[in-house]
Amino acid sequence: MSLLVVFQIGIREIAAHKFRSVLSMLGIVLGVSSLIATMALTRGMEEGTRTFMQQLGGLELVTIAEKNPSSLKMDFANLSPGLTLRDAEVIRESASLISHVSPEILISSLVSSFGQSGTRERRTVRGIYPDHFVIRMHQIGAGRFLSDLDVQRGARCVVLGNTVAKQLWPDVSIGSIIGKKVLIGTSPFEVVGVLDFYQSEEQARMRRSGKTSMRWKWDPFRVKNEAVLIPFTTLFHEFRSGAGSNEKTDSSKRNDSTELKKSNETKESNKRNDSIDSINLDTLIVRVRDLEYFRPALDQLRKLLDITHRGVDDFDFETREDWFDRVESSVRAARLSGGLISAISLVVGGIGIMNIMLASISERVREIGIRMAVGARPKDIFLQIIIEGMFISLIGAFLGIGASLGLIEILKLISPTENVPVLSWEGVLFSVVFALLAGLLSGIYPGLKAARLDPISALRYE
Amino acid sequence: MSLIDLENVSKIYQVGDQEIRALDQIHLRIEAGEFVAIIGPSGSGKSTVMHLMGCLDTPSTGRMVICGNELSRATPDQLARVRNQEIGFVFQAFNLLPKLDVVSNIELPLIYSGVPAAQRRERARKVACEVGLGDRLSNRPPQLSGGQCQRVAIARALVNNPQIIFADEPTGNLDSATGLAILGMFDELNASGKTIVLVTHDPSIAARSRRVIEIRDGHIVREYQP
Repeated sequence: MSLLVVFQIGIREIAAHKFRSVLSMLGIVLGVSSLIATMALTRGMEEGTRTFMQQLGGLELVTIAEKNPSSLKMDFANLSPGLTLRDAEVIRESASLISHVSPEILISSLVSSFGQSGTRERRTVRGIYPDHFVIRMHQIGAGRFLSDLDVQRGARCVVLGNTVAKQLWPDVSIGSIIGKKVLIGTSPFEVVGVLDFYQSEEQARMRRSGKTSMRWKWDPFRVKNEAVLIPFTTLFHEFRSGAGSNEKTDSSKRNDSTELKKSNETKESNKRNDSIDSINLDTLIVRVRDLEYFRPALDQLRKLLDITHRGVDDFDFETREDWFDRVESSVRAARLSGGLISAISLVVGGIGIMNIMLASISERVREIGIRMAVGARPKDIFLQIIIEGMFISLIGAFLGIGASLGLIEILKLISPTENVPVLSWEGVLFSVVFALLAGLLSGIYPGLKAARLDPISALRYE
Repeated sequence: MSLIDLENVSKIYQVGDQEIRALDQIHLRIEAGEFVAIIGPSGSGKSTVMHLMGCLDTPSTGRMVICGNELSRATPDQLARVRNQEIGFVFQAFNLLPKLDVVSNIELPLIYSGVPAAQRRERARKVACEVGLGDRLSNRPPQLSGGQCQRVAIARALVNNPQIIFADEPTGNLDSATGLAILGMFDELNASGKTIVLVTHDPSIAARSRRVIEIRDGHIVREYQP
């Protein structure tokens, strides 16, 4: 008996009981559509998180910050010079697994536009190295980034975050902001660049639709949008004189500046080494060259800093990895629980099919008897029931795919996050296979029951 | 060698703790080309004999050979193959599939012997014409008269060209005129070389056969030629 015939019989049987068959498919339809939608949703979450991570600076970003040394090393903590410019130099020269290094110092200062009516606000001003732009993944909106030359010369130039620029000059396009003057504290700086405006998908969508969220939300891009970035050397000399190192006099500070400028090019004397050792940093951000070697890179950093800090563990690494792992695992949990719920509804759908198949065979005992009398073997009968069950679930699966496409469209409209659901073909395939499996399993018991019928009593059955 | 050979065959049913001997040590031989009637009141065991010979069942004890197949301990698959290849059934209640048209009903045995679709329909049509249903091919059983239904059943029994036709009260649901026509068909089939085994409780129908076997209480009590 060819499979084709079995299929024909199956189709005829399903067509003869359309309503009943559709009812029995319903569970499969719901199961398949919810499974596909769940997978699309979690896929969307995953991709949303990934792009978000990229915009924030990616996994490659490692922040080195000071911390209290462990109690064991507390006694000789003062041996360590702390986080200094020396660390940045050492990392840049010796850490082969690190591609970019930006030592940074921060001050809080009033920022206002020069002779204009814009806002006058207290902002965090960062003294940085040009690597900062690569590490933080900045995009320039107008003008240019800070250059090595700016750092060497201690130039009075500034790159502004988009929000800051907009607040200082509300009515001007960012292109024409370039070249204008900004007052940081009392020092005038020239704007050489304005950064792009960073926003999440959700924020972009809300802005487009004209809605503004009334609720306060944590905006991860705020730091980037409100950045005020000036050369490290400029900030150090303008604002940190006396703050960076206590034991030096003002005149030696001036020396520091020249040393600082030359530090990239020449080998310094001992005295000069002492002085760059004395420039304390607030943070040091680095970019790992290759994520494949993320752990080794951290090891490398730790070894180098152990030397410069004379074995005192007064520094710590902040990585995005932990956070990303957490996000990953929550996505996984969401996928698992969603998948589980869908799987349960598929199982329920399978039970529905089994129920219908059982009803169907008890209605068709006589037919089965007749088929047996003319020569159908038990396995022919079994196969027929199985194929019917799988056929019902296959049709159900296709209806479910159709329903899931609609469901995903609806989810896209009401999706509360930037995580737009993404239809995945693995998801579709997986759920179809699962539905077929449910159909197969639900056909087994009725099929066995039908195949075990005694032909004589089946023929006599009324 | 006999076409059907039952030797010392018993069929015992266990109902609760009671043992019911539906057939008790029966000896029965039917040769190729015979027209045999099995007669007896209801509950006599004549249906049981028919089920055994028709390979719908296996004996509890004894030896059973049908068309050269030793079937005393046959598996359901072996029985199904013999039913499919060597045996055609005609039932009192016709036992057609109401959802299928005449051709589809007739071709049913061919499906289970793996004949390709085109050939199947060809053969089914031919047999349908032979039994006089050439103009009813696409009708369904509910649209046919009783006599026509029984013709469909006979066509189905014949389509795989079996050696033996079993008929279980084939005229029981028909009026006497139609019944006679159907019995006439069995005469013709027997004349063309088919072995016919007819089960009935009606002696006048049994009288159309060449050999009558009377069964009572699980035993063959009489055998005669009408």
